[in-house]
Amino acid sequence: MEPLNTTLPLLWFGLVALFLTIYLITDGFDLGVGILTLTAANEERRGIIINTLSTVWDANETWLVCTGGLLYGAFPLAYATIVNALYIPITMMVIGFIFRAVAFEFREHSINKTFWNFGFGGGSLLVAFAQGLVLGGVIAGIKVDEAGNFIGGTWDWLNLPSILVGLTVVQGYVLIGSTYLITKTEGELKRYHYITAKFSAITTFIGALILTIAAPLFYEQIRARVSHQPEILIFAVIPLLATGAMGLLLNSINRREEKMPFVWTIVVFLVTILSLAFVVFPYIIPFSVTIYQASSSLSSQVLMIAFIGFFVPIILFYNVYLYRVFQGKVISPHYGD
Amino acid sequence: MSFLSDTVMLSRIQFAITSIFHMFWPILTIGMSWYLVVMEVLWLKTKNPDFYRHARFWSKLYILNFGLGVASGVAIEFEFGANWAPFSVAVGDFLGSILGFEGTMAFMLEAAFLGIMIYGWNRVPPIMHLLATMFVAIGATLSSFWIIIANSWMQTPAGGEMVNGKFMVSSYLAAILNPAALNSWFHMVLAILETALFVIGGISAWYILNKRHPAFFSKSFKIAIALAILVTPLQIIAGHFSGEQVYHNQPTKLAAIEALWETVPAGKSAPWNVLVAPNVEEGKNNWTLSIPDGLGMVLAMKPQLSEPVLGLNEWKPKDRPHAVSLIFYTFRIMAGIGFLFVGLMGASVIQWLRGKLTVQNITEQPWLMRAWILAAPLGYVAVECGWMVREVGRQPWIVYGQMRTADAVSHVPASNVLVSLIAYTSIYLLLFACALYFGSRIIRQGPNLEVSLPHEGLAKSSKTGHITQTVSN
Repeated sequence: MEPLNTTLPLLWFGLVALFLTIYLITDGFDLGVGILTLTAANEERRGIIINTLSTVWDANETWLVCTGGLLYGAFPLAYATIVNALYIPITMMVIGFIFRAVAFEFREHSINKTFWNFGFGGGSLLVAFAQGLVLGGVIAGIKVDEAGNFIGGTWDWLNLPSILVGLTVVQGYVLIGSTYLITKTEGELKRYHYITAKFSAITTFIGALILTIAAPLFYEQIRARVSHQPEILIFAVIPLLATGAMGLLLNSINRREEKMPFVWTIVVFLVTILSLAFVVFPYIIPFSVTIYQASSSLSSQVLMIAFIGFFVPIILFYNVYLYRVFQGKVISPHYGD
Repeated sequence: MSFLSDTVMLSRIQFAITSIFHMFWPILTIGMSWYLVVMEVLWLKTKNPDFYRHARFWSKLYILNFGLGVASGVAIEFEFGANWAPFSVAVGDFLGSILGFEGTMAFMLEAAFLGIMIYGWNRVPPIMHLLATMFVAIGATLSSFWIIIANSWMQTPAGGEMVNGKFMVSSYLAAILNPAALNSWFHMVLAILETALFVIGGISAWYILNKRHPAFFSKSFKIAIALAILVTPLQIIAGHFSGEQVYHNQPTKLAAIEALWETVPAGKSAPWNVLVAPNVEEGKNNWTLSIPDGLGMVLAMKPQLSEPVLGLNEWKPKDRPHAVSLIFYTFRIMAGIGFLFVGLMGASVIQWLRGKLTVQNITEQPWLMRAWILAAPLGYVAVECGWMVREVGRQPWIVYGQMRTADAVSHVPASNVLVSLIAYTSIYLLLFACALYFGSRIIRQGPNLEVSLPHEGLAKSSKTGHITQTVSN
């Protein structure tokens, strides 16, 4: 049983990371588009922008629900402790989600759309910023007792780096939302989102750069990890990869390519997520509880891998099918078929 | 106002409010998704475009409710960790895998095919659209299955034991098929179908009463009646089995449901209380109005009980539920509505058999229509009441007999919970009012009977290479 004890938590860490990655990309553009509706010049354009999401937003958000479920199933202690410790940003995120989800329909049916327009855009912004605070709070480390239960303060997550992470996540989502809109819209809307894409690519890069430099300075744990041999090689290569992908992204935006900005943005996201995984691993509650300490029982992990492992390809298959059914440009602000 | 500084009490209130609010939306959408399946099958079989128009009309109400269900459901998933972390850790081995199953098997299926069901009419062939609607219905129903399994396990934990404050599962099958699981799920699925049927029937009745498209809505009205013939009597049976299960496995809850303080020994008969004024401090009822020998009839269908029924005074006050009046009366409201639905179904069937529901005669049944309109919200009332019985009746336990609610609450200051409680409550009140307002607007606007059939009237837009996402509805 010894090999299972070490490989299963590893496998689950990978699976949770996979779901989280798909979530960050799909709901990333979803939330980014939501934020961009705040800048839409008129109601017709806003309608078209929102319409690029109407068929996929629920599936995108469900990746988070699944990530939460899998994290809870595979690492119950991590799920409970992290969500407990980040009570305030998590609640902010949920409230943002609520306004966003209802605004799709409420906006459509209301005569004066101002309130729900703001609910949609503001809700998206709130979710994005709160997710950044959650990420910042997790990276900063969570104070736990010897059993792994949260014992820190309510405001532990609130500090300068976590606010910077929050702002950077907002920029990153606007970036991926802009490049998604380039693929889904035409004419003036498309032109406009090349500009927002370029602007947010630059601000994202600046935010990421500051964080990459500041995190090891602020946090001893991160400093120890990134300067450790032989991982130092990884942490030297990753920023180079990210910079390279960012350069290719800017280039494709400048050349007004249609699909490639979105693709390069996804590459930037993947590199960023990979580097975060390296910083955190093997901890699941940084930097005190490892995946081995937080994992659920062997039988639970085996049962889940059998069932959920079976469903993962099916899920991926029908999600791809969904996107294929609705491929092509959206040119009408009206809602419906 | 000491509860304002009591994290346990505030967390309980918050969970109650968020789950009461959440419940309103999925119970309609799950039931309605099956109704949409029926309409689409009828359309494909009969080629009568009215069934297609029905599917389009009801899915407008569907999608309005759906967003609210998703949003309020996400809140609950995070509450498990945010407000109930020690509980989540202690039972994570079981509950975590169940929530993982729910997400990957059920939620995702529903969410992905929802897009096709609502917006895909012109994008996929009709048979694929029917499949999408069926996947939505199956996904939603599977969600209800897994969440009822999780909750039933909290009512009648099985398949393992608590070791050092953590539940160790020895048999997942036994844990999933715990004593409350299947009968609770049947009871809930039937409740979901009943709620949706009486909402659809009630709205159809409103149109018929107001002589708006009576021929069109007599179709949906009669389908609702036809399905109610099956569903409403089954619910009485399912309810009875649920009651029996509580009788055998959760004696404190049963005693609270019946406001029974003193044990009734086997072989004796006892009255069934209709109205009581419970006195929790003294452990008795101040007064009662009851049916002689009724308890045996209700629990065992005979006057004398073959097994004893334990009274609340068998337990110390700290080991039994306190909100006896709430449990007692919400149970009676729920059960009463169940019987009312059977009666309304029966009256409607009689009128149907007498030929009063034909297209010519149906507008001359104002009283029947009014009864259906009044019955439309009752399914919600019954479901909410039933869940209050189930959850409040389980107290003081969060996992019956294994873990106390007071030991399950997170390390969070009361002020945080108070702020989030106020935020959720005020947002939910606003959203509830908006949902009613927009829902009634959709109903007042009525169906679009000119809507063109899928894949018709699209030629011009597809020529340009774009398939527009335009409304024809």
